[in-house]
Amino acid sequence: MGFNEYWSTNVAELSFPLPDLGEGLIEATVLEWLVAVGDQVERNQPLVEVETTKSSLELPSPQAGKVLRVNGEPGETINVGDELIVFEVADDSAGIVGTVPQDTAPKRRVRLSANLDED
Amino acid sequence: MAGQEGTTGAATGTGIVETARHAAEHRVEGTDNSLAVRVFSAGNDGGARPVLLIHGFASSTELNWVSTGWITALHDAGRKVIAVDLPGHGLSPAPEDLDAYTPSRIRAELLQILQDNHVRPLADGDATSGVDVLGYSLGSRLAWEFAGTQPQLVHRVVLGGPASIDPLATFDLEAAQAQLSGGAAIADPTTAELVRMAQLVPTNNMFSLLSMVEAIKTEPFAPEEAVPSMPILLVAGERDDLAGTLPTLLELARGHQGSDEHVRELILPARTHANAVTSRAYKQAAVEFING
Repeated sequence: MGFNEYWSTNVAELSFPLPDLGEGLIEATVLEWLVAVGDQVERNQPLVEVETTKSSLELPSPQAGKVLRVNGEPGETINVGDELIVFEVADDSAGIVGTVPQDTAPKRRVRLSANLDED
Repeated sequence: MAGQEGTTGAATGTGIVETARHAAEHRVEGTDNSLAVRVFSAGNDGGARPVLLIHGFASSTELNWVSTGWITALHDAGRKVIAVDLPGHGLSPAPEDLDAYTPSRIRAELLQILQDNHVRPLADGDATSGVDVLGYSLGSRLAWEFAGTQPQLVHRVVLGGPASIDPLATFDLEAAQAQLSGGAAIADPTTAELVRMAQLVPTNNMFSLLSMVEAIKTEPFAPEEAVPSMPILLVAGERDDLAGTLPTLLELARGHQGSDEHVRELILPARTHANAVTSRAYKQAAVEFING
């Protein structure tokens, strides 16, 4: 990998598709980009306002990183699963393309025995 | 017809509190007032000039300004907000008397409400005097007239989704009444669209809304009769069919003021009359304009 100029900078591209917005919606129309190419965005920062046949909503960023590319001019329709935005992230945080890296490991506690004293 | 109940923006952000909800304290012309007033303050306004919000036909303070993030945006800009629900809309009563719905009566009540909220006439160099006015759709017509007739009180105006011809003026009242009582469908497309949008909000009182249309038809919008002389920003979605005559208002204001320095226009790409209100570009431009 050392001879690959891209990897030698220790960054990677991370692409995110338009997520499934539920209710059987298969597409959304871009209304307004709230970030621009070159912006450094934080996780959960609003990225873009999109409109479906049900409502308009702002999509939060699943990832911290620098915006490399955005897809869809205002008024253009994007299908669920098509590329929406591409981030440049530090190499070790890229993970598998299309998955959402977690900031912290999910915690799930299961009580194995009932505590009968608790009311 | 403004405002769509989306998931955009927090309803009321942290720190901002609805401090009052009331009708005007003092009656206008001896009859009961029909505008519900909602005051939002965050305690960070330090006596700054308040902002008056007037929503559109078949909408409400809640739909047009609260659920779309406007209260939060104005709070972040350090402003106290005085928002009114039009008669028969939102929290306002639905009077049977047609006079309560006329634009002239509504403007008189707006003046009373500002008095009751201690808004003082503009004074040179006093950033706490006067009021900034934001309207949307029908609220923009009312804001244009209010600003045009109250130049001593209004500092700046931002009009969203405005039209120089009131779409309600050509509203086919009889056809709407026929359809609502189970008769034939409305033929006129503008009338049909307005009724469709009005019916999207389950709490809307359709008969009260029709009273408003009837009252407005008795006082058609004549923008040339009261052109605002203070700085004005006109905003519309690129695909807003109801605001197609916005250039006429621009021209009127520029002609009246003799320059285009303080008459600005913002067109929001891809937006329609219904979804322009959630735009962050719109909110940011409005805040910068009234703070400028």
